[in-house]
Amino acid sequence: MSQRIAAKVLANLLLAACAACALSAAAADDLLAPEQAFEFSARLVEPGLVEVRYRIANGYYMYRDKFRFTAIPQSAGLGEARFPPGKVKEDEFFGRVETYRGELVIRLPVKSGGGFTLKAVSQGCADVGVCYIPVTQTARLAPARSSGEALKFQAKASDLLLQSQDAGLSR
Amino acid sequence: MNRTGGIALLALAAGLALAGGLWLYPWSGSAKPDSGSVVPLMAASLPDMEGRLQPLAQWQGKVMVVNFWATWCKPCLEEIPEFVRMQEKLGDQGLQFVGIAVDNAVKVREFSVKYHINYPILIGEIDAIELARAAGNELGGLPFTVILDRKGRLIGTELGGLNEQKLTPRIQPAL
Repeated sequence: MSQRIAAKVLANLLLAACAACALSAAAADDLLAPEQAFEFSARLVEPGLVEVRYRIANGYYMYRDKFRFTAIPQSAGLGEARFPPGKVKEDEFFGRVETYRGELVIRLPVKSGGGFTLKAVSQGCADVGVCYIPVTQTARLAPARSSGEALKFQAKASDLLLQSQDAGLSR
Repeated sequence: MNRTGGIALLALAAGLALAGGLWLYPWSGSAKPDSGSVVPLMAASLPDMEGRLQPLAQWQGKVMVVNFWATWCKPCLEEIPEFVRMQEKLGDQGLQFVGIAVDNAVKVREFSVKYHINYPILIGEIDAIELARAAGNELGGLPFTVILDRKGRLIGTELGGLNEQKLTPRIQPAL
């Protein structure tokens, strides 16, 4: 009888320990570094248009209102960023918020025909309940030179057209 | 297999699972007692909401719970009411919460009033995250909490949200 009770106690311990394992697996230990969670790239896809791309890892999201883009030098003349529609929700603390998951492409018009450095500030969080401080990433942008690059450029530009139509519907 | 053998096997399995759980647990972002240094934190002075410099070392002698947070960080805002309640309940026993806001003063002041924060809030701006990194928060995530005993020694850290239930057993032995 006492053996049966002991077995029961041990079985419960086993269950409790496994619950702890499961909790650990879902918690902050698996967190990615911000540059991996929010993988940034940017390039000039056509004269006067920058495409900024974030590959957002599964289980992470970014806030629309936290993006800031600047050009160095400022005289490069960065225009207003065009965002695709994100997920909008009413937050108990922040009111209306718009977030992105998965792949995010932001378009930035630019006046400069020459090269410049794009500085991008972004902020996001992980679903496990951890937020990253705003991250600043930079990309050196220059117009494409070779014909090969120009072709790549065209293919990318048509992708962008589709995106801009999507974005247009949301406004 | 006889019953004794079965129980022995079960005991071994339970032991291994518990050991595994205990081994994994620190990696959950909880209880990383030796992963960082609190020397930079305890040597730091940061402005309070009125702009007066406050050395962190002034609270040594109490059990300190130093919480890095920001008004733009939702999981940070969720845990603050728990801290307010615990400060109220255990402050007399020597528990001292200190908030370090990785944020600007205007927003922090607004939030502190709204949520009746009853413990000191220091304005760290973005640079304060370096104190958190030194204390073991390599990724610079928020919220991040550092627990120190009365001698200013690191008891544990937590990356991610805390609540009274999770925090109490970790501070109780030091009180």
